[in-house]
Amino acid sequence: MSETSPVLPLNRGGHVGHCKRFLAGLPAGAVEADASRVAIGFYCLGSLDLLGTLETKTRPEERAAWIRWMWEQQSVCGYGTGFKGSNYMTIDIRSPPSAQYAEYDTPNLIMTYTSILSLAILRDDLSRLDRKGLVQFVRSCQREDGSFSALPSGGETDLRCVYCAFAISSMLNDWTGIDLNRALAYIRRCEDYEGGYGQQPSDEALGGTTYCALASLYLAPSNASAQRLIDSAFRARTIRWLLHNQAVDGGFSGRTNKISDACYCFWCGASLAILGAGDLVDNAALVAFLARCQFSMGGLAKAPEKPADPYHTYMALAAAAVLPSPHVNETWTLSRLDVLWNTTEGTAAWLRKHLTEKA
Amino acid sequence: MSYIEEDEESGPPLYCERPEWADVTPIPQYEGVSSPIAPIFYTPDYKDATDYFRGIVKTGETSERVLELTEDIIRMNPAHYSAWQYRYRTLLALNAPLDAELRLMDDFAVNNLKTYQVWHHRRLLITHLTVSTPGAKPTADPLDTAQAELEFIVHVLDVDTKNYHTWSYRQWLLAHFDDSALWLGELPYVDELLQADVRNNSAWHHRYFVVFGRGSKAQATPAEEAEVLQREIRYVKGKISFAPNNISAWNYLRGILEYSKTPFSSQAVFAESYTVRRAPWDDEDVVDLDNPKPSTDADLPSVSAMDFLAEAYAREGGDSITKAVDLWKALANQHDTMRKKYWEFRIKESLETKSG
Ligand SMILES: [Zn+2]
Repeated sequence: MSETSPVLPLNRGGHVGHCKRFLAGLPAGAVEADASRVAIGFYCLGSLDLLGTLETKTRPEERAAWIRWMWEQQSVCGYGTGFKGSNYMTIDIRSPPSAQYAEYDTPNLIMTYTSILSLAILRDDLSRLDRKGLVQFVRSCQREDGSFSALPSGGETDLRCVYCAFAISSMLNDWTGIDLNRALAYIRRCEDYEGGYGQQPSDEALGGTTYCALASLYLAPSNASAQRLIDSAFRARTIRWLLHNQAVDGGFSGRTNKISDACYCFWCGASLAILGAGDLVDNAALVAFLARCQFSMGGLAKAPEKPADPYHTYMALAAAAVLPSPHVNETWTLSRLDVLWNTTEGTAAWLRKHLTEKA
Repeated sequence: MSYIEEDEESGPPLYCERPEWADVTPIPQYEGVSSPIAPIFYTPDYKDATDYFRGIVKTGETSERVLELTEDIIRMNPAHYSAWQYRYRTLLALNAPLDAELRLMDDFAVNNLKTYQVWHHRRLLITHLTVSTPGAKPTADPLDTAQAELEFIVHVLDVDTKNYHTWSYRQWLLAHFDDSALWLGELPYVDELLQADVRNNSAWHHRYFVVFGRGSKAQATPAEEAEVLQREIRYVKGKISFAPNNISAWNYLRGILEYSKTPFSSQAVFAESYTVRRAPWDDEDVVDLDNPKPSTDADLPSVSAMDFLAEAYAREGGDSITKAVDLWKALANQHDTMRKKYWEFRIKESLETKSG
């Protein structure tokens, strides 16, 4: 299929414009993002980073203001220190709220992971990060069964939160916030008969959480336990299942017999890259699909003919970055991706210098 | 117990205009730096309601009107998790009838299938309703409650048969209440879904969960287990015979063989008849019930059957490797060219193992 029709070039200018519009503001209809604006910021900044245009297409004073806003989301609570997804419940940052109020405005583990990445993308030196408080916060998000929840007070527990805990711990090079044996056992319990990992134990195999499981297992310190090693038979099943999620249109679905979606091109493609099987993907067909997901007004959508959004824009670009296909169409050449942290190699190097190696 | 005005067109007055809310001090959101990331241009209604919500959380008030306010907010923003948390706390503080809350949430769930909080809230309600404390019976009968929930989920899955949160919630219910009476209805339900859409992978996954994933079924004797396995193998092969290219069914077959450590080669005869275009057994009179043949209008060869048979040969090793390689070559060059690199990798890998 990729041989028959030429791949549409990457609309760099359009995608930069899309990200800048969302960084500047969201319409009232996007109110569901109220509690997670940090994530929107990460998708937009991450896209600009992948496109290599952050420094040239945004002004230094804009970046300085974004950095100030990001730091305002770092907050200390009874559970340690983390980042909130936005100031949607914040009433005053100069005087801390009562413990009673703070219970309804705690930091969020997923938002903490995306905040650290966003600050590194903006090349902040991260010296204001409360490392000790952060480790305490990670610890307070772990549950009895080894899983993690996004909020220390409870709520959703799943592999996404496990991944964020592992990513943060590896960035800090401090694993004292995680009971590794229990966490690794939990990941194992999410294995599904098809070869993927479900969001929680006994859930259906899903591309996104398969990435979370694999990245966590590969981020875990090498001396952790034998549990971090993936059994070779299950690894073969995982590779087979992931590759079969690539559909005739070139895109990947997140589950067997579902339709293709640009975000799963990243989740499945990155999972394969982690397993050292990225070169088995038909990347020419993949980039052709991603190219068709480009929205006429800029940005990328989950599928052709759908409206673009920051999440799918970032995931589609990250997919193209993790499984490059320069021989197909060179306009799609992007910054290289650090697949385990899900950020550009440049940003990962910045994190290592300013965070990991300062441990 | 809905506090929402029936006529939403005219719009209820803002909280700041209502005398019964005059005693609450609204607190605006802290605005912070001059150019924040992705600020949302709120509607006046949302800004007004959340200003009052922050005011309520600050005083710690838990009263009837807090239920009205939080319902208002989650209708505007179902992902407002602070409002969900505070609503739950208020329900408990008021000792409010949780079954009424569940009914209120029924429609809400159908309209917000993909919002995690909807399902989490339900779990909290159901758990609280059915928990027994020392010396006190639970508010609701656990079995009746769980049964009603399973029926409710059938209705929700009618809207979206593959909704991830809904399936996850159904599996949680079964495992949480873990009563044989509940499990009993699951296989007929799955069968109904697969009759409607044999490619529904969520239904196949649920079947696996019900048959092999039930933690407490350890009482089964080995003979019973073997019988269940044979029943499942027959079932999935029957489904494959009607839709030979349905990878969900093949994955189920592979999954149960792996689970029971049954060699793939035990199903080689079955798979083989799906790997050739013309069926030489067309004229045969004998019907092999254990190995149903493809229906006459089947689109053959089936890529999944070739994949399965090659796997069976490869695991047999020895001379069978050659037969696996032939199948992989056919897949790579003709029948599944999208995965050409994968099939070639399998060829390379198996030849290395053979010679090494
Ligand atoms: Zn998507």
